[in-house]
Amino acid sequence: MRALRPLMPTATLVSLVAAVPLLGTIVTGPGWWFPAVLMMVGVAAASALYRLTGWSATAVPFLQIFVMAVLLTPLFAAHTAVLGLIPTSGTFPELVRLLERGIDAVNTGTPPVTGTAGVALIIAVAFAVIAMAADFLAVTARCPGMVGGLLIALLMVPLVVDDGGVAPGAALSAAVGFLVLLSVDMWLRGREWGLPVPDGRDPSVRFLVGLRRAAVAAVSVTAAVLLTLTVPLAVPSLRSDVIHQAADGTYIGNGPGVITTTHPLVSLRSNLASGSDRTVLTYTTDAEEPDYLRMYVLDEFDGVNWAMSPVDADDDSRIEDDLPLSAGWSGEPDGPTATTRISMDSDAPSLDFLPMPYWPRSVDVAGEWYADPGSLMVFTTDSPRTGLSFTVESTSVTPSADELAAAGQAWSAPGSLLALPDDVDPRVAELTETLTEDADSPYERAVALQEHFTGGGFDYDLTPPAVPEGADPLVHFLLEDRVGYCEQFAGAMAVMARQADIPSRVATGYTAGQRMGDGRWAVTTGNAHAWPELYFEGVGWVRFEPTPASADGQGTATVPDYTDGTGGDATDGTGRDEEPERPETEPGPDDEPESDEPTDAPEASATPGGEGTDESAAGPASGSGGWTVPVWLPVAAAVLGGLALVALPALVRTAVRGSRTAALTGGSPAAAAHAAWRELRDTCVDLGVTWDLTESPRATAARLAARGPLPEEARAALWRLALGEESARYAPEPAVVREPREDLRAARAGLVAASGRGDRFRAVLLPRSLAPWRRPRPDLGPAPTAA
Amino acid sequence: MSLGTHHGGQGGGVRTDVGEIVAVADRVRGAIETVIEGKPEVLRIALTVLLAEGHLLVEDVPGVGKTMLAKALGRAVDCSVQRIQFTPDLLPSDITGVNVYHQDRREFEFNPGPVFANIVLGDEINRASPKTQAALLECMEERQVSTDGQSRTLERPFMVVATQNPSDMEGTYTLPEAQRDRFMARVSVGYPAPQAELDMIDAHSAHSPLDGLAPVTDAAHVRDLADRVRSVHVAPGMRRYVVDLVNSTRTSPELRLGASPRATLHLVRAARAYAALDGRHYVVPDDIQALAVPVLAHRLLPSPEAGMERLSAEQIVAKLVSRLPVPGPQ
Repeated sequence: MRALRPLMPTATLVSLVAAVPLLGTIVTGPGWWFPAVLMMVGVAAASALYRLTGWSATAVPFLQIFVMAVLLTPLFAAHTAVLGLIPTSGTFPELVRLLERGIDAVNTGTPPVTGTAGVALIIAVAFAVIAMAADFLAVTARCPGMVGGLLIALLMVPLVVDDGGVAPGAALSAAVGFLVLLSVDMWLRGREWGLPVPDGRDPSVRFLVGLRRAAVAAVSVTAAVLLTLTVPLAVPSLRSDVIHQAADGTYIGNGPGVITTTHPLVSLRSNLASGSDRTVLTYTTDAEEPDYLRMYVLDEFDGVNWAMSPVDADDDSRIEDDLPLSAGWSGEPDGPTATTRISMDSDAPSLDFLPMPYWPRSVDVAGEWYADPGSLMVFTTDSPRTGLSFTVESTSVTPSADELAAAGQAWSAPGSLLALPDDVDPRVAELTETLTEDADSPYERAVALQEHFTGGGFDYDLTPPAVPEGADPLVHFLLEDRVGYCEQFAGAMAVMARQADIPSRVATGYTAGQRMGDGRWAVTTGNAHAWPELYFEGVGWVRFEPTPASADGQGTATVPDYTDGTGGDATDGTGRDEEPERPETEPGPDDEPESDEPTDAPEASATPGGEGTDESAAGPASGSGGWTVPVWLPVAAAVLGGLALVALPALVRTAVRGSRTAALTGGSPAAAAHAAWRELRDTCVDLGVTWDLTESPRATAARLAARGPLPEEARAALWRLALGEESARYAPEPAVVREPREDLRAARAGLVAASGRGDRFRAVLLPRSLAPWRRPRPDLGPAPTAA
Repeated sequence: MSLGTHHGGQGGGVRTDVGEIVAVADRVRGAIETVIEGKPEVLRIALTVLLAEGHLLVEDVPGVGKTMLAKALGRAVDCSVQRIQFTPDLLPSDITGVNVYHQDRREFEFNPGPVFANIVLGDEINRASPKTQAALLECMEERQVSTDGQSRTLERPFMVVATQNPSDMEGTYTLPEAQRDRFMARVSVGYPAPQAELDMIDAHSAHSPLDGLAPVTDAAHVRDLADRVRSVHVAPGMRRYVVDLVNSTRTSPELRLGASPRATLHLVRAARAYAALDGRHYVVPDDIQALAVPVLAHRLLPSPEAGMERLSAEQIVAKLVSRLPVPGPQ
């Protein structure tokens, strides 16, 4: 038994390693899982080896923490250690630095986050702690079922932070790992305590037990996969886009579709993807043309996603009076001033970043709020109440094209606003170079970039086709399929602007929304939007609009007059009229349906469902080399499958009977008598005849014989079987039943003949004896209490 | 097809020869049935107790043939039979016997009391004072008589058949639980069926039917049969079944007092005899089920709740039996 002690720690390790792929949808990149697995192996090995000694389990967690600490150095800070193993004074700061970077990446990045060393460190430590907890639950406390709670917690991580859900394969792997843990536990318990095996000598029982185990395993695995696929359909916040397309036509309910999250792009996506177009806020304004309502500013590009750099909530940034001026602004703003009174809808989730028109001068809002001086985002660290109302004084930034054209190279903006990762594909830079060749000023370059997007070469689609595995999403959007929505347009233009030496960032929030009859403006989830802001020296941050603004694009988007690129004389608004026409000049035959206005969401999302079906149908067809499946084949397969399913219980029952009949001859008299009696019992159970475990065999035989008109042959056979069973059970030496096969046949025939037609039919098709819970059980009556 | 009509006689090997027991029992039964008709189950229990060397308590209203049953049993077996009519003034020495001083021989001589017999009929045992009851009960349990420091063993077979009127009759001292526990089984004779009563009128009008009852076996034979009954096989599962059944009387909320370990032993011994009477050399659950009420019920006290529901101890035992699964294949 001692040699088996490491088995439970090992099984626990297997179940956790099998759960690692659950994070596959939220972490990208190679090798992030390796440190986690290694740490878990270390933790499990510590437990397994220690438990071989048989000493008190109290020491196990300490040993495991030690192993974790020892492993961290070579895995994450090898360069600071002697021989890569022995930590030096520089090791700990290095680990802390990595950890901080990882926390930053997780907090500010959008899923999937890149599996950098910091992220891998967080994952490794988290998994090691989970492994310790699992080891305690499964081995020390010997409740391996509780490990399921840890696995569910792991499963919740990707579900909560991202809309992508969990890959069915990953869920399957986790489920199988958990089953392995449970079966190892069961097997060990069997060795330690013995299992209540009904009767190992009856081959039919062994067969049934094996069958039942296989069925339980199959049902569990199937249920795991099916739940993974179907639960997102029913729970709005779990919908992945692909399933959403197929399911939206039947989507019921309007639960909270927006996840309050620190990832602006995720809430943007879920806002736009949610089929229901719910009001987020209403506002009144004295401006003629209200500006966009900006919430987040994403100013760091990691090669795939734009992310928000950390903001500080301290006394310096608390809002008391006027907000700080926006960087680069010289002098007082001279644009038209507007007062906007915004009321958050009480049904909408509360936001910890305020949506406000740019450029806000002062905010009148209850509670403790902070402003980020660089971006002028206004946020709180409390959880604000829903239905918040606040008033914003803002000055609209509407420079003329001439002013912008006169703006020189940016010199006062921090260099980080031009920073791009090294691994941005050079083809993007080439494209930027080509587009801005003829432009002299930063402004002209910016206009050239915007025109590249709005010039008709791009299609707007809220559900763009998936980026192939391994492809750079930016390159894929810019150069290959050119389909996307505001997030792609804004992000790509901001990247290209930086390449063109214009400081840029991505803002997200809402468009101005729609005017209602009573003069108020209503902003809905469908108005969620992202746009680039570009910085011009002497002017400040200026909004651009690369996203198509027509009914085929973000319907309520407006293109600022100053970006029209035709100089001062273009500020008459004609540019805005042109915009909607451009995408219509070359609409693809299949891109109209899905690029509808999000406010018509039910229609919009129902139609793409059709397209999704087309795609999925196209896949297999092209894979099978053009051979089309005949219509009758699936029908025939379904009919055959149905028949097989219907016949399955009968077949299994026949197999059981066959195995018992085989035991009737050749074995010991007792085995034969038991087999015959069990078969008689199952026959009765199948026929719906009572089988009373408090009755002795002869009493049972007497009752069965008295039940109905039984032929004499059957009565005699029944009696012989009962006496055979009785002597096999109670006599010192069992009597030999001479013709058990014949007796069984006669008794069965008599019982079947005495039953009604319905019972007989049911006994063949749905033999109740196969269901363990339908088997007769002793009725022990009420639990005995102390008298 | 009914219970007990088939005598399982298959199989080989060393086993108790039960054929003779069946034959003797059938003869005794036939003899007694000339006196008492229409009570086969009562007779069967009486024979079971005889072969299991226990004591029988016959409880019923006066005049239904309790004494007749005991007398007939004693007459059918050729052995010594003594009858004690219990009365309130009966003394213990009236049962066990006394030492009498012989003037001429100058020594005491023991005059054995009526308990020195193979079958002792204690009539209306609950009319005697508790002290006298206790004297008889000591003999029953110890199978010996102790007077003046000397023990005298009683001859086998020794069977007390005590009759008693239901406790609510006038002038009775109810047997305490501890003493009821000494009886292996209790039976009620019950009123005869109308036809049996008609036949009785004819049979009893001319002469006492007991006069025509000739012995069909003797004490030595019964002793031999009782020895053989002891070797009837009780499978481990069956022992467990008995223990479970007795245990369930101890844990049942409907019972204030459960059955004693002595009851367990009595039940197994009676089941052996019952199986042998059926021609079997092994005990089956049916034996226990048939004997549970006669062997257990008189030892139990229903709880007040069960009393309020008018549940008798017999009904409660029957319920417990009907809930206990029979032992399955080993």
